[in-house]
Amino acid sequence: MNNLLEVQDIHTFIGQFHILEGVTVGAPEGGIVALLGRNGAGKTTTLKSILGLTPPSQGRVVFDGQEIQGRASYDIASLGIGYVPEHRAIFRDLSVGENLKIAERRRGDLERKEELIFGLFPDLKRLIKLPGTSLSGGQQQMLAVARALVPDNRLLLIDEPSEGLAPVIIESMMEAIRQLSGDSTILLVEQNFIVASRLAERYVIIEEGRSVKAGLMADLVDDHETIQRYLGAA
Amino acid sequence: MIDVLRKNRVQLITLIALGLFFLFASQGMSSKDWVVTMLRGLAVGAITFLVASGFSIILGLMDVLNLAHGALFMVGAYLGWSVYVRPDTFMDLLTPLALVGAGFALSPLWDYWLTQLSLRPALPRTWPWVGLALSLALLGFTLARAPMAAWNPEAYAESPIVWTQAFEQGKLAAMIQPATFDGIPPWAGLAGMIAGGLLLAISLAGFRRARRGEGTLAPPSWGRPLAIFVLLLIAGVGLYLVNDPLTAFLLGLNTTWLFLIAALVATLAGAGLGALMEMTLIRPLYERAIYQIMLTFGLAFIITEMVRSTWGRSGFTMPKPSLFAGTGEGCPATSLGGWLQNHCAIIMVEIGGETARIRTYNEIFVTLVGLVVLIGVWLLLQRTRLGMIIRAGVQDGEMVEALGINVRRVFTLVFALGVGLAALGGVIAAPATGLSISMGASVLLAALIALAIGGLTSYPGAAAGAMLVGLIQQFIIKYGSIGIQLPFMAEPFKPSPTVAPATTVLLMVVILLIMPQGLFGRKE
Amino acid sequence: MTTPSRSDGRAVRPEKRSFIARWLADNGLLTAIVLALALLPFALALINGQSIASLVVNESGSAKFIQGLLIEVYILAVFAISYDLVLGVAGLLSFGHAMFFAVGAYLTGILLKNFGWPLWMTLLAVIGAGVLQALLFGVVLPRVQGITFALVTLGFAAVFDIMIKSRELAAWTGADVGLQGIPRPDLLNPNTQRLRFYFVALAFAVAVYLFYRRFVNSPTGRVCVASRENPDRAKMLGYNIFYFQLAALTIASITAALAGMLNALYKPIVSPEIASLGFTVDGLLMVLIGGIGTLSGAMVGAGVFRLMDFYFAKWFGENASFLIGVIYVAIVLFLPYGIVGTWQRRSISRRKGWRRLLWFTRES
Repeated sequence: MNNLLEVQDIHTFIGQFHILEGVTVGAPEGGIVALLGRNGAGKTTTLKSILGLTPPSQGRVVFDGQEIQGRASYDIASLGIGYVPEHRAIFRDLSVGENLKIAERRRGDLERKEELIFGLFPDLKRLIKLPGTSLSGGQQQMLAVARALVPDNRLLLIDEPSEGLAPVIIESMMEAIRQLSGDSTILLVEQNFIVASRLAERYVIIEEGRSVKAGLMADLVDDHETIQRYLGAA
Repeated sequence: MIDVLRKNRVQLITLIALGLFFLFASQGMSSKDWVVTMLRGLAVGAITFLVASGFSIILGLMDVLNLAHGALFMVGAYLGWSVYVRPDTFMDLLTPLALVGAGFALSPLWDYWLTQLSLRPALPRTWPWVGLALSLALLGFTLARAPMAAWNPEAYAESPIVWTQAFEQGKLAAMIQPATFDGIPPWAGLAGMIAGGLLLAISLAGFRRARRGEGTLAPPSWGRPLAIFVLLLIAGVGLYLVNDPLTAFLLGLNTTWLFLIAALVATLAGAGLGALMEMTLIRPLYERAIYQIMLTFGLAFIITEMVRSTWGRSGFTMPKPSLFAGTGEGCPATSLGGWLQNHCAIIMVEIGGETARIRTYNEIFVTLVGLVVLIGVWLLLQRTRLGMIIRAGVQDGEMVEALGINVRRVFTLVFALGVGLAALGGVIAAPATGLSISMGASVLLAALIALAIGGLTSYPGAAAGAMLVGLIQQFIIKYGSIGIQLPFMAEPFKPSPTVAPATTVLLMVVILLIMPQGLFGRKE
Repeated sequence: MTTPSRSDGRAVRPEKRSFIARWLADNGLLTAIVLALALLPFALALINGQSIASLVVNESGSAKFIQGLLIEVYILAVFAISYDLVLGVAGLLSFGHAMFFAVGAYLTGILLKNFGWPLWMTLLAVIGAGVLQALLFGVVLPRVQGITFALVTLGFAAVFDIMIKSRELAAWTGADVGLQGIPRPDLLNPNTQRLRFYFVALAFAVAVYLFYRRFVNSPTGRVCVASRENPDRAKMLGYNIFYFQLAALTIASITAALAGMLNALYKPIVSPEIASLGFTVDGLLMVLIGGIGTLSGAMVGAGVFRLMDFYFAKWFGENASFLIGVIYVAIVLFLPYGIVGTWQRRSISRRKGWRRLLWFTRES
């Protein structure tokens, strides 16, 4: 299979703690892959290891045919990987517009993407001059996703997009993510199984730093035993 | 509105208290004294700000408490003095710098070629040492014979003090010798420098290769390194050829222009030093914060010792540029216009029936420079992409990197900028305060206090804190001479000059205890 | 001088052995070093051809001189170890440690000279002052952390330093010149009773070391270390770190003040240098040379620092401080765990290796 992203048996240490002890994830071009698992299983660390923010000590990460493990984070990101971190990481000393502008990799990126971004998140347009801190949780999440859309990214790593959001906003966020998956591949970390199962075509379950099960989401939805075992009651 | 007031009540109360202090101060002394003290305070604040601003941006962006910042301020001052009072020394330095640097311009090419070369296993470890020894010997031999005008802090007749006097009396040109190589033909000297530089750069590339081990590099682009190499060669040789006429030209130059050149050179040298420091010494320690603090402390120590051995233990002055030094016809001036016409050192102004003497350099020019830098850096932070990255990086460097931005390079740039500003502060301060090897430590303490007051990583906080520190220091010093009427005391209390810094330190402690995040800091 | 190995082999040892024998087995190196230092003046006297008797009656000579140098080392060692307790064990970045030392020194001088207090009352006053200082820092502690704490402590020390050097208090402190003419108690006069002073200083240093080791290995001390490594976790476990940090500060403050007292008794002049930031940095350097958080390292570091300082000044003159600066930076870059720290790391991994080996044989 020709995957855009291929993570092969990576091990990652944070300090002296062995966080990832063998994670393998494959993401085919286009579509959404969900990383599932309990709190602290190593899902966020997997995303960070792909980006080189917590560089893996072992294993391979292949993106678009190139091995990228061990390269600097900015270098990896410039290959076309966008990151929407867990707590949004909106820059509070920057205005909403600057929060988007800073993500430009080439001059004019933002102008070219304006239509797409404000089409997905019309709210942001009227907030453009406000400081990043004045946004609500949902608006911050939109901004964080929008920021990853400014440059031409082929892969988006999205961490917990529904966390702490009101149900209505979750719906529109899901809609936005679904639309995005047409143009780029998405690796999604999601605690909320219902959200994940409605969005993703594939899944990888991570348990205590190991990827233990992977497959098609359609098969997982009916596999109550697996859900019970790895994800708790869902 | 009320909400804003309530949220910032601690800040407001503090500001009101400080306002009351200055109001009280204005009651306690004549309005002439008050104005002069205010101006002096602002000038001291401006110098403190030049150091504090860079310090705060570096601390915010990379979490490095650069305790060497004061020492680098001092280096700026001493370098500025050297270019200003001894343009011949400056000229003599340029040729070796350009020629030795030329070899390093080709470093990317060396790195690449060395990976192409296949050597026997034992060789890659040994030959760089041989090369290093050879190049150092060669450079040592030629540089010792290169023309190098200097001073000698050990002997009074050749000490910086005497050179400064000669500069002031206009006798400098007569004392300066033409630049000649000592004992070897000039072409041999120049060639020695070029060869030494090349060999040194190649040896260092060899060390890098030995450490990196096997592996290939992508072929670098040829054009730029070669162009820089050739340019540096031409510059080095050219500067040698025109050394004497250029020195004479610099000596004949109006001292205001010469001062500008000195300030520019010191700032750029400071920036270069900062970049070098960040790349070689600070970078390995980003993960270990406490070691960084100790490292910068050690560096401050080393730098101070180097300055002492080069310029001597005793302090000396730096003559003011001619724009601020006039004493002749029409001086002291009575207005700004009069100063601009006659370049007076002093302006006399009538305030409240008394005449105030305001020094154009110490009180006006220094404050203006501080203001220009304040606005300039603010524009840089608010209006440029680099500023945007800095502001974002202060909060979350990891996220900035995840956006595809090379934060390390920004770190280097910001370090260079911060140290450059400190060096500029040193040059600007030197004619007002003189040069001494303790100037770095005292300005560092003032800057630290300013930052603690203003909120460690806040730019407006650095400005406000620096201003407060300057003002309070000057007012206390003023009260030291006129006495302060304290309640329950019959005699006016006269704090001695040594007590002035204690008040600012106390102010810092009090403010930190009320608001640990400082006046403008953000609550975590 | 190293923290004793309490890990392996202890159960194998016959329980019959007396307490002293067991203690000696655990602290062999420490005992050897202390014995060597105690015998050193006599050995030096013999090497120089002096008789032991001349040593006891305090004849001047190189043996007396070396004793003097070592007395300074012991005083500095106590200063350094107290700094290590604050910095390395409690994890508080304090830049005001010189004040702890200087308060003891100046108080001793002023009480003995201006007020004519007897030595034992002065001793009590110094201990009291030590407690007060720790409380002063302790009041600040809950409000400010990290760099801000460093700045506040730096501020306290700077104010104290400025006060000492100020004109207003010159009658007591001697301002820039320093405090001179402290009457020496007959019991402990460094000029006439050098050897006795030497043993008092050595005993003091050893006692402080043993006490500190006991403190760090006590439950309180362990929590201190835990809170340094992970404040949140210690908090979650229900410990109030503040009291542990305060305890560490109090102990450090008292011992540093006592070291200052000894310094005032030994040196002819109490120099204002000891209140300056430079002296804190000296302490930092000593701790760093030996290894942060190792306690014994601080003492080793103090020895290395003082001897380096002395001999470099002798050999290189003015360039000595430059060299020391270079060594300092080199240590930060290349030997970040210091002499003792690096050594302990090696021995710890070796011990771990042994344990792993034993575990393996038992399992199979």
